[in-house]
Amino acid sequence: MVAQELNILQDFEKDSLWFHKNIGLLRQQNFTGKFVAIFNEKPIASDTDVDNVIKIVEKKSISPAAVFIEFVYPEGYTLLL
Amino acid sequence: MKIPLQVYPFAGGLRIMVSFLLRYEDPHMFLPIQAIVDTGSPITILGIADLKRARVSFLQLKKLESRKEPIAMGGGQLNTKILRSAKLKFENLLESSLNILIPTEEVQGISPPTILGVDFLIENKLKLIFNP
Repeated sequence: MVAQELNILQDFEKDSLWFHKNIGLLRQQNFTGKFVAIFNEKPIASDTDVDNVIKIVEKKSISPAAVFIEFVYPEGYTLLL
Repeated sequence: MKIPLQVYPFAGGLRIMVSFLLRYEDPHMFLPIQAIVDTGSPITILGIADLKRARVSFLQLKKLESRKEPIAMGGGQLNTKILRSAKLKFENLLESSLNILIPTEEVQGISPPTILGVDFLIENKLKLIFNP
């Protein structure tokens, strides 16, 4: 893997780790039931519709492909796959 | 060779997760993905949010081969297309070629994540060690 690819993956993993560690904080900040985009360990966009989140991210001149976007499930909600 | 996994509480319980780069030629896709490793799933499927992050249009999806049988997920049924021989890159540890399903519609009310299924483990002759 070239260095650039590795950087993309490591930055993404850092943001995913931030999301999972701060899920409680995100719920406190009313992100429950929304998709939230995390970039550089900060939420930069959120909405109930993922398409809107992607539009907000693009307006910030950031490629959505590089951004960690995840749904904030309510506490206690169990998703069976 | 060992691929490091993460274990996070997510959507009601601990989940085994792994990150990789997904690459595909046509339609063009190049993006990092975080997937749940699910040994209860025979297939690997891209989550809607990840598909949308890839900015692939429905017109581009039309060109892809459809999977005949719908899959059951989240209490509903999903029609899917097939990304034949998509490239999955796990840091410098493994590059794998795998058929990945992509949903062509959304399941109302839920957003299933990307799932890395048993097909991936079989294809790469891997075993899962879960010791959180």
